[in-house]
Amino acid sequence: MRKMRRLAFLLLLVIPSTAPAWAQELTLPLKSGSVRFAVIGDMGTGEPPQYQVAQRMLEFHQKFPFNFAIMLGDNIYGGKTPADLEKKFEIPYKPLLDAGVQFYASLGNHDDTNERFNKFFNMNGQSYYSFKKGNVHFFALDSDYLDPKQLDWLEKELANAGTDWKICFFHHPLYSSGAFHGSSTELRTVLEPLFLKYGVQVVFAGHEHVYERLKPQKGIYYFTEGASGELRYGNLRKTDLTAVGYDKDRSFLSIEISGDDLSFQAISRTGVTVDSGSFRRPGAAPPSP
Amino acid sequence: MRLQAASLVIVLSAVAAAQTPPLNKQPPGFDDFTQRVQQYMKLRKPLPNERTTKRQDQIVDRRLSIADAIREARPAAKQGDIFTPECTPEFLKVIRGTLQGSKAVNVRKTIRQGEPVMGVHLTVNGAYPEHLPRTTVPPTLLLHLPRLPDKLAYRIVDHDFVLQDTEARLVVDFIPGALP
Repeated sequence: MRKMRRLAFLLLLVIPSTAPAWAQELTLPLKSGSVRFAVIGDMGTGEPPQYQVAQRMLEFHQKFPFNFAIMLGDNIYGGKTPADLEKKFEIPYKPLLDAGVQFYASLGNHDDTNERFNKFFNMNGQSYYSFKKGNVHFFALDSDYLDPKQLDWLEKELANAGTDWKICFFHHPLYSSGAFHGSSTELRTVLEPLFLKYGVQVVFAGHEHVYERLKPQKGIYYFTEGASGELRYGNLRKTDLTAVGYDKDRSFLSIEISGDDLSFQAISRTGVTVDSGSFRRPGAAPPSP
Repeated sequence: MRLQAASLVIVLSAVAAAQTPPLNKQPPGFDDFTQRVQQYMKLRKPLPNERTTKRQDQIVDRRLSIADAIREARPAAKQGDIFTPECTPEFLKVIRGTLQGSKAVNVRKTIRQGEPVMGVHLTVNGAYPEHLPRTTVPPTLLLHLPRLPDKLAYRIVDHDFVLQDTEARLVVDFIPGALP
């Protein structure tokens, strides 16, 4: 019985790795000096689909060498023992870690706040923090606990971030067409005014186990990527919010920022590009001819 | 680990009189609570801070060691020691006011969307179960509650309102049935 289970597990890992040749066509521009990263959310199950998405990420990394990945929470579901950390993070992403990819985590409702002490997650002991890559400021928030202290911190950080790209990432989506949770409207009432006041351009969230790119809301681009391990099949409702949605399989997202241009490509567990495109930083001068 | 915890307890007692800075911007009616929180933090002050590491076993060991030391420093701790009968009505007023006020629909939705934790039996000095998710604490509620020092956080578990030591993952105190 145990042997059978192991065999089934291995088959699950192997079958989707035979992605068709047309899969994972690169749509990102690969410009010199660009900021390149992957986005994953709700992945820490330790189950075969998480491993399969990680394998697609590794393959994509060979075409699009991203330097880091941001994690949108629910990094480790269930138990948090050393064995759990291995199974749900260190093993699936080992080839990427070995290739020098750094992971920057935010916390979801299934995470232990002590994950902030795990060096693999680059949180430096903080449940919310910021970092800068090139001309992009990143702000990782703990959306499970948006207390006044965190909001004060965010306001100061955003105010000091200048005119570069400002990207926030956290677990709960402020806008979502997901049927299971939907938009986090109360969190929106405290975060959106700060985003608007200080010119945040892009927000990444998870929690809903689907991929969704939303139509810009008040000029801000929102992405939900909560299906890099978990999936709620067919859970997207038809709403006016959605630009593109994908709820048929797991996925991850790749981003390239070059100057004032951001390009994105969302890829499924089987290697199919399910969304791609680009936009210019809101407020930036038009590109020179 | 036990030896380490015992030695920490000795240090804890020695510095119990140490001063911690007052927490600012506290809403009125919570002075007693704030003082008790500060006393807790004094007990906790000599404990080593968690350190960042790639070794999850070290993070877990340190967390257990800190929790043991806290338990030994307050062995008789019981429900109501920090959420005293005097301050509990103030908390209930804020919690119920937030959950029944004009913004109640969104606040309740926040708790619902956070996949609320149900059916957990809490004990003071007990561990917050490792495998359980965190219920999102509505920011509107946090706005009206006393600010807490680092290492402490409010939690919602089922209908109970909890004060948690986040590094030790320990239940410091709770108000049973605070949430309607």
